[in-house]
Amino acid sequence: MTAPLARTAKPARRSLLNWLLGVGVIGWAASVLYPVLRYLRPLSEAGAGGPLKLSAEELATLGKSHFVIARSGTRKVIVFEAAGELRALDAKCTHEGCTVQFVPGDSLLWCACHNGKFDLDGRVLSGPPPRPLVKWIASREGNDVVLTMEKA
Amino acid sequence: MTVLLPLLLVLNQAGPAPAADDGKLPPSLEALFQEKDKEGKLILGDPERTYLKKLPPHTRELIGKDVDALTVGGARHLKALLALELPSQNAAILFSDNCILCHTDPESQKKIHLFSADPKATQSSEILNLKSFVSDVHFRRGLSCSGCHGGSPANDVMTADIAARWPKADVRHTDRTWIPEFCARCHADPAFMRGFNPSLPTDQLSKYRESQHGILLLQQKDSKAAQCVSCHGVHGIRGPKSRQSSVHPQAIPETCGRCHADPKYMAGYKKDDGTPLPTDQLASFKKSVHGKALLEKGDLGAPACNSCHGNHAAMPPKVSSISQVCRTCHSQNGTFFDGSKHKQAFEAHHWPECEKCHGKHEIMKPADTLISDARDGLCGSCHAENAKDNPECNATARYFRSSLLELVASGQKLRPQAEALGERGLDAEPIVASIEELNEAIVQTRARVHTFDRGGFDQGAKLGRDAVAKSEALVQAARNEQRYRRNGLLVSIGLMSLLAVAMGLKIREIGRRRARASQERQGP
Amino acid sequence: MIEAQPEAPASFGERLYRWLDARFGVGKLVEFARHKEVPVGGHSMVWYYLGGTTLFFFTVQLVSGVLLLMYYQPGEATSYESIRYVTAKVPFGWLIRSIHCWSAHLMILSLVVHMFSTMILKAYRKPRELTWLTGFLLFAIALGFGFSGYLLPWNELSFFATAVGTDSVKSVPVIGQWLLEVMRGGPDVTINTLYRFFALHIVILPLLIVGILSGHLIFIQVQGMAHGMAHQRPDRPGLRFFPDFLLRDLLLWLMCLIVLAVLVYLLPYGPGIPGMEWELGKKANPLAPAYPGIKPEWYFLWVYQLLKEFPPHLLGMEGPQAALLVVTVLMGIWALVPWLDRRASRGQPSPMFTDLAIAAIIFMSYLTLKAWDIGGHGVPGKLPDPRSTAWACAWITLGLASVIAVLRLLAYRQRWMYFSGAALLQVVLNGILGMDYLIAGGIALVVAIGGLVVSRREPAPQMGVPR
Repeated sequence: MTAPLARTAKPARRSLLNWLLGVGVIGWAASVLYPVLRYLRPLSEAGAGGPLKLSAEELATLGKSHFVIARSGTRKVIVFEAAGELRALDAKCTHEGCTVQFVPGDSLLWCACHNGKFDLDGRVLSGPPPRPLVKWIASREGNDVVLTMEKA
Repeated sequence: MTVLLPLLLVLNQAGPAPAADDGKLPPSLEALFQEKDKEGKLILGDPERTYLKKLPPHTRELIGKDVDALTVGGARHLKALLALELPSQNAAILFSDNCILCHTDPESQKKIHLFSADPKATQSSEILNLKSFVSDVHFRRGLSCSGCHGGSPANDVMTADIAARWPKADVRHTDRTWIPEFCARCHADPAFMRGFNPSLPTDQLSKYRESQHGILLLQQKDSKAAQCVSCHGVHGIRGPKSRQSSVHPQAIPETCGRCHADPKYMAGYKKDDGTPLPTDQLASFKKSVHGKALLEKGDLGAPACNSCHGNHAAMPPKVSSISQVCRTCHSQNGTFFDGSKHKQAFEAHHWPECEKCHGKHEIMKPADTLISDARDGLCGSCHAENAKDNPECNATARYFRSSLLELVASGQKLRPQAEALGERGLDAEPIVASIEELNEAIVQTRARVHTFDRGGFDQGAKLGRDAVAKSEALVQAARNEQRYRRNGLLVSIGLMSLLAVAMGLKIREIGRRRARASQERQGP
Repeated sequence: MIEAQPEAPASFGERLYRWLDARFGVGKLVEFARHKEVPVGGHSMVWYYLGGTTLFFFTVQLVSGVLLLMYYQPGEATSYESIRYVTAKVPFGWLIRSIHCWSAHLMILSLVVHMFSTMILKAYRKPRELTWLTGFLLFAIALGFGFSGYLLPWNELSFFATAVGTDSVKSVPVIGQWLLEVMRGGPDVTINTLYRFFALHIVILPLLIVGILSGHLIFIQVQGMAHGMAHQRPDRPGLRFFPDFLLRDLLLWLMCLIVLAVLVYLLPYGPGIPGMEWELGKKANPLAPAYPGIKPEWYFLWVYQLLKEFPPHLLGMEGPQAALLVVTVLMGIWALVPWLDRRASRGQPSPMFTDLAIAAIIFMSYLTLKAWDIGGHGVPGKLPDPRSTAWACAWITLGLASVIAVLRLLAYRQRWMYFSGAALLQVVLNGILGMDYLIAGGIALVVAIGGLVVSRREPAPQMGVPR
């Protein structure tokens, strides 16, 4: 009979094809699952959009010099200690955008570019800056210092 | 009855009601609303009625009395006055001041004496603009015509004391020497000014006497020199904070330029060394970085003429004083300069510090290529003569220039790289932030040129180089990520294509199997 | 052939099957599945796959959407920032987001082609009217998904696109203003609008679509897939669904997935066509002036352009109201096609409705091309010239329509072209001869109705032979 002969010839090729199919399916599943699983695993650093945290390096600088300029992306915030509490202001001068510095002796923030001076609340004391510095809120959470924008 | 009693009590408690403002106009005023013009249309209408209703009743009464007394000459006159839309206090001043009423009535004044509300009035002088007059700071504080001109607002005719106030007409428009003292009668009297604005200075006249303009006008009797009216105007004086004021920082260059940029007017005036006074300062200033900041960007922190020359004590600043003025804003550069070799050199030669390299009116944004040790370059030309024995100086200049150009070039190379990476879907934000840091470092480095010392300069240049290195590392990391994504894609496409091929073969195999099975059924 | 086979021990699969069958009667389902067929007929099989590809892309949307939901936080300070975080920091976040955006457009593209193919092949005819109707509802829901999802990144582009898009609802008579405020959560587009759109996008519309899609699919299972029209169909056995059609279907889905992956890699932010780009850009700032050249997504462009063609007042109505009325009437006709097309319900050739579909394609293509300002020589700072836009788009549409007409004439021997002819007439009058769009439309409508009346009097035309 032709049938059984035909049947014995096919299994080898069929099983090869099935094997290929199986490998293909596993390959496909891997290509889909690998990115998804990596995506789902949470990252260690701060989550989306929320508060800025000072990096370890920045925390160390804060401890040593009592002020630090924290950066995250294109944002920069100056965090300093005044009257025992932690304060934070936007470090971008409102005149031409230079980074301001903290002058503890005079209790002010100074912009070296055009000698603009701000008090510790961000208000303009003298010089060309047209607007006060935007306020941030700095709070200690455990060992971290967390920065959030002040609500409008 | 029991209901009525409490009701009556309640009504009684309310007390007498205040006189209701029913918006009625006095009869003579009402009559004006019937007046028609040549074409038969009513002159006054609803806008005027609405405005009048907003005024308190006593002001309306006042206007009614003016109409009765014919100081308000007719509907057209009233319309021009009401069109000013003054707040009620100022309206009360206006309508009780006969000087203003007569001198705004086209039917009772010659054009040369007429205050017109039309800004394009050709025959009356620009100082007789009614709109500008009612915004005048003196008028708004209650000092009206009689305060300067004399007479009384209640008069309805000209009196002799008005003409006696100051020199005759033919003299007073050519001889201006009386003006500063006239204004100072109030403005130099602290007790008087305290009643209006205690913080306003009262030393303008004494400063003016020391100024170049004051010397010319008061000592040399030169009436071409500027006095109070030249800068502040007469009937439309506004404080310097108002944008329309002629002494607002953004208006000052033009105000000074009215004389100082006019070569015909300034002909004959000379500097101390005998050369004629230049008239290109305004044009230079407008091209300069300060001029652009003040006039184009609207940065009120930028200096106008008075920031360096002074207001009432205007004088060309002397050699040593100008650099101190620059330091009010550019303090850091000043500090660097003070600690540098150039400080003693410049003092020894009596050179003006900042101005020597940067100019005074046409201060442009300094290009890095300004630093040049070439024979005709900024540094080289001076060093050739004065630092002949110090080849170090030229070498330092070369070092400054090459370092800055290198940093700037790196930044220019990095930016498009960051943009291209961003467009490909990679996170370019850290690179952009790092380039910002580079730009800040370049600003610092440029400031540190003023130390004229490699060590001082390098403190800034090092930050710049670190920023470049960091940016380049970030770009490389992003490129690696891109390669990772591409390879990942190729692998996954490869695997999926493998599956696709396998499936295709399977489909074909099933088809063949079925065809063979049906063949067998039909076959033997 | 009966072969005596020894009793092999039942495999695990067989035992599981028997366990389930004893409890749930799955045997009937399996029987049904074994006999399910896909008709093989006078037209290409490719059209039968389009519903499946739409479903595939929708599944991709569901999965990628749920994954994005793990990180997305709606809120004034968090919407934009969380999307930025996902695309920049989360591993493969860029991939998931880009897949979600690409697949949205591919899904709607597939849906539109599926809709037009069922229209032209008259799969809507009795007894499948409700399948068509549910399909129409699914189309509307899909557009709703697209519109609501667009706002969620809270960037400049989506903010202004939403402001422009929601603005048009105030022209609805009587309830217009109320509808506007309910949609926007206030008179203007604010973060409250985002909260509502978010609820719409992840709960309300998904529930609706699951319900209506189930109906749509159940109808198909119960009634089987539509055969081609009787006069076109030679007698051939259908293609078995399991495993033949299913394998081909899955293969096609796999290829769609590969195409999607390639697109995501090469064009992570879309092809850069206005209305089809999703670079994150800047965060929405309600105080900033409107985005120049703002355009809604491509599938809304024809309505957007139509609104622009109407004058401020027309026949006592406000322009936008009149435009919305026209759109409503057209959509109404489209939804009711199974009931309007009585010839197809009787199994008779219905060339008029084939032509209606072609007319719709011409009508919408011309408006969409115009909305893209093609040929308008627009440069930044200078508005594109509407006349030259109309001219260029008219020629393109004319070319497209000619190709379709030649194909119909030669390959399918279709000669009923009054509706498509009228649509093309409007295009020519407006674009090439410079006539006002609405006046051209009026003339075209008269021609269309005239053609309808004339054709009623003619004997039934010969339908084309199958290829």
